[in-house]
Amino acid sequence: MEFFKKTLDPIIALSAIAVLDIFMFLIMGAWTVGGGETMMTGLIAKAAIGDELERLPFWNIVFPVHGDYWKIYISLGMLFGAFVGAVLSKEFYWRVPRHLSEWVLITLGGLLMGFGIRLAYICNVSTFFGLMPEMNMGGYLAMSGILAGAWVGSLIYKKLLEAE
Amino acid sequence: MMSPVAECFVAFLFGSVAGLLMQRSRFCNTAALRDAIMFKTYRNTKAMLAAMMILTLGFTGFMSLGAGHPLQFDVGLNTFAGLFLFGIGMVFAGACTVSTWVKTGEGNLGALWALIFTFVGMFLFSLVWSASWWPPAPQTMTGQINAPALQLGFANAQTLQQKFGVPAIVFGLVQFAVLFGLYRAILKRERAHHAEHVKHQQEHAKGKPVETAVQNA
Repeated sequence: MEFFKKTLDPIIALSAIAVLDIFMFLIMGAWTVGGGETMMTGLIAKAAIGDELERLPFWNIVFPVHGDYWKIYISLGMLFGAFVGAVLSKEFYWRVPRHLSEWVLITLGGLLMGFGIRLAYICNVSTFFGLMPEMNMGGYLAMSGILAGAWVGSLIYKKLLEAE
Repeated sequence: MMSPVAECFVAFLFGSVAGLLMQRSRFCNTAALRDAIMFKTYRNTKAMLAAMMILTLGFTGFMSLGAGHPLQFDVGLNTFAGLFLFGIGMVFAGACTVSTWVKTGEGNLGALWALIFTFVGMFLFSLVWSASWWPPAPQTMTGQINAPALQLGFANAQTLQQKFGVPAIVFGLVQFAVLFGLYRAILKRERAHHAEHVKHQQEHAKGKPVETAVQNA
């Protein structure tokens, strides 16, 4: 099938996703990832430490843990869709970062992303594909933050590349 | 009102199609920002802008009619600070919330590792929040508006409509025009870059035989 042989123009891909996002906005809410990831974090923590988790007010007040939170399934769907796409286009293979420095940067990057999403109560997907199109003031604040962060991150990353 | 199971099913369906389309198009939100800043290439930036233009018209159009489910999201300086940290993190990790899932689906263990530590970062924040109770959770989560000192309040296309008596789509059209202006500026820059590239190639092609002739002489 041609679809799995050629790379799709990202403008077409994102335009199609945007149309679907409008439908989802009408029935549930706009595309988001950070909320579902937080709920997954809660579910994993609950599986690990049980009711002890409820001693932390965050998991009682902000994110009471429950498995039927629809935002979780957006992320699981993306994982599934990408897996199917990669297998059918014969692009699935194990990719492992080779250098220790890459692992360190990825670890630090992951921690910053997770902490940052919760500090802001919003993720990058909600920023660009939810809040900004709704013209929510938070979208503009978040966009300013992510642009400034990406710029600082790029400067540091360039320095690290030059040092290597 | 849909049942939670139906909502989860719709969300999974949307996610699956989005994941498939992003895998096939190699779209990456991190690249949309990082590549524009570091390498002045805009393949992903243009796609992001195109989606934002469609969404702006769609969301504000339906919000004019009182339809849709916009986030009741009041904001503060923590919104800026959090996404600032996120911006640094996504460049370091080479992936954002979307591409960690998509790349993991392609077998990328680095992306899976980033995902695991995103969860760890979120859990660490839950510890900090449980000790500090800061920043206050927005009304999307608590159902109540927060107005402590740091919170800047709540405004979106719908509140603009209520305040000024002008349909939300009008504000949406203004934002659409700004995004379209950015999109056109990128296209213009790409065309100028391409023309320069072609000119260099032509000059190089013209110069080569002369150099060869000089060398032969």
